[in-house]
Amino acid sequence: MEYIFSGIAEAFVLLLKGDEEVYSAVSATLRASTAAIIISLVIGLPLGFLLGYFDFPGRRFFRSVFDALLALPTVLVGLWVYAFISNRGPLGGMNLLFTLKGVIVGEVVLALPIVIALSAQSIEELDLSVRDTLLTLGASGKRLLFDILWEARYGMLMAAITAYGRVISEVGAATMLGGNIKWRTRTITTAMAFETNKGQFAMGIALGMILLLIAFIVNSTLSYAKRRRQTR
Amino acid sequence: MLYELRDVKRFYNNRCALSVDRLAIEGGKIYGLVGPNGSGKTTLLRILAFLDEPSEGQIIYKGSSVTSQNASLFRQEVTMLLQNARLLTRKVKDNVAYGLKLRRYDSKTVKTRVVEALEMVGLQPRDFLNRAWHELSGGEAQRVALAARLALRPDVLLLDEPTANVDKVSEALINQAVIKAKKEWKTTIITVSHDLGWLYSTADEILSLWSGRIVHQGPENIIPGPWEKLENGLYCKRLRDGQKIYVSGAPSQSGVVSISPSEILLAEHPERTSARNLLYCFIREMAYCNGSQIRVTLSIGEINLVALITDEAARELKLSPGMNIYVVFKATAAKWL
Repeated sequence: MEYIFSGIAEAFVLLLKGDEEVYSAVSATLRASTAAIIISLVIGLPLGFLLGYFDFPGRRFFRSVFDALLALPTVLVGLWVYAFISNRGPLGGMNLLFTLKGVIVGEVVLALPIVIALSAQSIEELDLSVRDTLLTLGASGKRLLFDILWEARYGMLMAAITAYGRVISEVGAATMLGGNIKWRTRTITTAMAFETNKGQFAMGIALGMILLLIAFIVNSTLSYAKRRRQTR
Repeated sequence: MLYELRDVKRFYNNRCALSVDRLAIEGGKIYGLVGPNGSGKTTLLRILAFLDEPSEGQIIYKGSSVTSQNASLFRQEVTMLLQNARLLTRKVKDNVAYGLKLRRYDSKTVKTRVVEALEMVGLQPRDFLNRAWHELSGGEAQRVALAARLALRPDVLLLDEPTANVDKVSEALINQAVIKAKKEWKTTIITVSHDLGWLYSTADEILSLWSGRIVHQGPENIIPGPWEKLENGLYCKRLRDGQKIYVSGAPSQSGVVSISPSEILLAEHPERTSARNLLYCFIREMAYCNGSQIRVTLSIGEINLVALITDEAARELKLSPGMNIYVVFKATAAKWL
């Protein structure tokens, strides 16, 4: 047990001293996951709205596909994206493999189905009375669509936070696509796996505490969004 | 003429929910829609609010034919309070101001109208303006939803059971606010209400609906089947309390009869009478209508009947809500629909 307690003590020292290696991994994680989530929201929210609001042929099929993709294994995403961005792949010329951009591509593939499926669900759950209420007050056209989106904002926030929680804690795709390169593509989760294998518990625990803090913030925000949604 | 409906039909999954050959609605009046569940009241309101398009037929509003292109333009003048009115997930003041801001009123007018509308529905602006949507009771939420419509000073206000799920205080305030809107802004009110006493005493016109059709313009008693055929050529409906209603004539396909309120007489004691129907009932409500007439709503078993009597007759019989009395009408007074 002693090595665990000494690991925790050392972890605090690393965090308080501002250890560059620790904060490099934190920075890479935050940059990659934030970029991935922004891209996913820009693409995913409009698609989720279309899927949740409009009735069109094949809608059920697409809903089932995106629902199924919610449980996409991260290693499988890593494998597929690797196949596309490696030198032999169709996107090999873009030199994305073993870069933070490559990690971002993988995380977007992971986050996008979550954003689409959950935002579509939140629009569906709004039911027709929101649309009717807005229409009876005189809304129409773009304003109507924007205000429907606004009424679903807590559901949308839940979709964004759930997706963020998924990408920030994933390890498979980040390892395969980023290569766990120190100072460049090493993220919190890949560093934790690597340092633990080396027996460097202090570094792993320090990174783990930061990940726990981020997870706490993410989950608190998620709980807030859920509460507001339920009082709708 | 404010509205004209010509051969309007509305289908849901091949089922005809509404079929109106001709309907003219004049501006500045209160119209009450009555009829059982599924009779097409809400469908008609939604069509008049331009929320739904008719499957067939034509709607003319203020002389212009309504199409999907110009419906949003007319929705600026016509508003509807839905049966389960919901609030937007914002503060009370933002809910009431929403429609005004859409219409680009200046901020001073918006503020004045919001305060005025809240006062009209009996909500103190000081206490309610900054409340969030989830900090209101059901009755308060319904009144805020009505205030959001009243703030627009609409030409037409359509109400779908505005007092169905609210407490008595909210019910009275909502009813008062609706009458005030008609008086102050000459708003045309078209309303469905379970509160028949209020509806009959307030409405200038009553439209009775049955199976998607307007079966009568004016108050009418609608009695659905089943009817038992008797040997003497009469048909009889057994009420839950054991009493029977007798009607004559050949039944229609719908099996529904209507009886004019003026055909129904009230008697204090059971007497020998040539009329086939003598029923013991309970007076639910009484309200003045058309000056000297009194509309009496009566409960018999599971049905309600409305009778129109003179002020003088009511005084002679010493009628009051809550008392029991006899209802008399001929079997021939009923018409098969």
